[in-house]
Amino acid sequence: MKKYLSITLFIILIFLPLVIYEDNNSRYEKLSKSLLCPVCQGETLYDSPSEYADDMRIVLKEQIDNGISDKQIMEYWTARFGERINTNPQNSNYILILFPLIIALVFGLLFYRKVLND
Amino acid sequence: MISSVGIILTWFGFLNLIVLFITSNKNLFQTLVRVNLLIHFVLFCTLEIALFLDDFSLYYIANHSAASTPPLYKFASLWGSLDGSILLWNLVLSTYFYLYIKFYRASVELYDIKIFASILLFFSGFTIFSSSPFSGCVQLDSIGCQDFTLLPFQDLVTSESGRGPNPLLQNHPLMAIHPPILYLGYIGLVLPFVIATSELFNKHKDENWIKIAERATYFPWVFLTAGISLGAAWSYEVLGWGGYWAWDPVENVSFIPWLLATAFLHSSKTQIKEQTLINWNYVLACLMFLSVIFGTFITRSGVLISVHAFSNGNIGTYLLIGLLIFSFLFIFIGIRNVEYFKTSNKVENLLGRSGFFVANNIVLSASALIVLIGTIYPIFYESFFSRQLTIGRSFYDILIGPLLLILVYLMVFSTKISRVNLNLKTWLIGYQNELNISLLISIILTLYFRASYKFVLTIFGSVLLIIIIGKNIVKRYKKTKLQGSYWTGQISHLGIGIFTIGLILNVTQSFSNELIISTGDIVNFGDKEFVILPPYEEIREEKNVINLPIEFKDQEKNASLNIFKNSSQQAISSPAVFRSIESDTYVTIKVIDDDKFKLIFRENYGIFILWLGLGISSASFLTRIRK
Repeated sequence: MKKYLSITLFIILIFLPLVIYEDNNSRYEKLSKSLLCPVCQGETLYDSPSEYADDMRIVLKEQIDNGISDKQIMEYWTARFGERINTNPQNSNYILILFPLIIALVFGLLFYRKVLND
Repeated sequence: MISSVGIILTWFGFLNLIVLFITSNKNLFQTLVRVNLLIHFVLFCTLEIALFLDDFSLYYIANHSAASTPPLYKFASLWGSLDGSILLWNLVLSTYFYLYIKFYRASVELYDIKIFASILLFFSGFTIFSSSPFSGCVQLDSIGCQDFTLLPFQDLVTSESGRGPNPLLQNHPLMAIHPPILYLGYIGLVLPFVIATSELFNKHKDENWIKIAERATYFPWVFLTAGISLGAAWSYEVLGWGGYWAWDPVENVSFIPWLLATAFLHSSKTQIKEQTLINWNYVLACLMFLSVIFGTFITRSGVLISVHAFSNGNIGTYLLIGLLIFSFLFIFIGIRNVEYFKTSNKVENLLGRSGFFVANNIVLSASALIVLIGTIYPIFYESFFSRQLTIGRSFYDILIGPLLLILVYLMVFSTKISRVNLNLKTWLIGYQNELNISLLISIILTLYFRASYKFVLTIFGSVLLIIIIGKNIVKRYKKTKLQGSYWTGQISHLGIGIFTIGLILNVTQSFSNELIISTGDIVNFGDKEFVILPPYEEIREEKNVINLPIEFKDQEKNASLNIFKNSSQQAISSPAVFRSIESDTYVTIKVIDDDKFKLIFRENYGIFILWLGLGISSASFLTRIRK
């Protein structure tokens, strides 16, 4: 009996997010989180309390209201402040994600051969 | 006067260490270690006294304290900048030296004393040859001091008033607690390094070294956990950005040793019980301390930009040399022990106890590697392509997130494992009720928060973990024959389970809004209602504060803007935080424009749960004291 309850609950849980998940993050939130505030030390536009960031946020909001695409917006900012303003470099620079994965894989294999019984 | 006393005492301390390094008289070293601790304690007190006497003939005090600095922050100014923080560093190191010979001494040979003494010589040498917090001021700046001397009995000049500490460092009392606690953890990782290297250097090694190293790692681990958590709490309360962890380089280099230490606490267990992973344990025991020096190097040498970074002149080269020396020692001793490492047993089955520890170690060290790459990649990128690059939160979200999830499920299954294989079927039947309850809770929470898969997977694992451990504690704690260390582990895991719930709530549910208001307005944010009261200005000796009282239900709290005198830095915004178990409402002033205020309202979910989990994890040490 309990077994069937578990299975039923499990199936409900598995399909639940498909039905009800809502993405609450606005475009503004996503973009301001992926842009670095150039005058602050390592803070994003979203986080930074500085006035400079505030001015940048106003520009960003205008861009979003004018319906400019995410890609164009990122290009606009990187053209002005350089690559470092983009805090998500892995989206265009796949090696950043692959590099640690490859090292981890090699390391894992080494570990496997050295410590585990084969 | 104080400058000369400090400098001469530093020399004495250095000489004392040299004697300790050279002597082979076993009766002498106990005394020398005590004298060393005494000297470093007196040095610490001397600088504190100078800070409280406002002795601006000291270069350090003229530049990092001011007459108007409140007493608590004068006290904390000792570790507010590089030269002074080395004094605290050395005091902590000396304390550990003393504790080591009292409680953890493994070797009957003197190698450990030599290695420990050379580490201390290295760090106190910095205050003699490079820059000392006691160096006297010989040339004034417009405010503070421009040039210093490292020699005693010089003609010193005294500036009128000091420059004062960095405004960010005098805004919250946690500044007085977070760095010392963190140092106790960070520097404490010297113990396993000394134990592992000295014991393996010895030809007749004691097989028990791993037990002692594990015991010696545990308390630093507790302090490191608490120190990092306090730092996160401080950042949340002070920096006004509504977060607690920014993947800032300095945060990262405290997190890397934490990950390695956590891995070591697990992998050492398999060596104790089954004589496996000996080589790997040696590597981990040393890497913990090497990662500490490496972290200090990259954050103090000025190669990185960070909120925490302070550097001057040649400390980078100095630390790099130290890193090379100690790495060489590690490699040299490792090579000498190739035969010993071959006696290590192989792990027999992957679904038994050791298998879980191996899996845990792979995940934790992979995480350490990812954090390391994320931290240093921008440096390499800049030197190869001469372009700058920023690695932000999403890099770590993508790579560390899944690993954390794996860890949660490893902890779930490790609530009941033995040397024999884990049998999934009996496991599922044994925990049927717990499974059903956590499935039900997860469904309710998912419905309530309209959540994503990321949320569902984390919540289900964490809730299951908490329920199983909770039940075990209630039912078995008194009756059990299991050792104290089992409970230490389980309670830490319970804390981490609670922490991950807070974390996932925070990451997936928080929202914010930017509002322009004038006083008297009623603000609706989420389903809460806030009243904005008239602002008032507070003039203190060291700063002007503009306070904006905000009323919510029967609470009234100030969001404020701190404008520091003696500082060119921009105003610092202190948040008003309305707490509840489920979520905090966090209000900061962004800009003041005549009588209009631009405020940011953030609904931060899970913050209390997050701190609770970290607190429980740190408090797991209580189970060790019971023994």
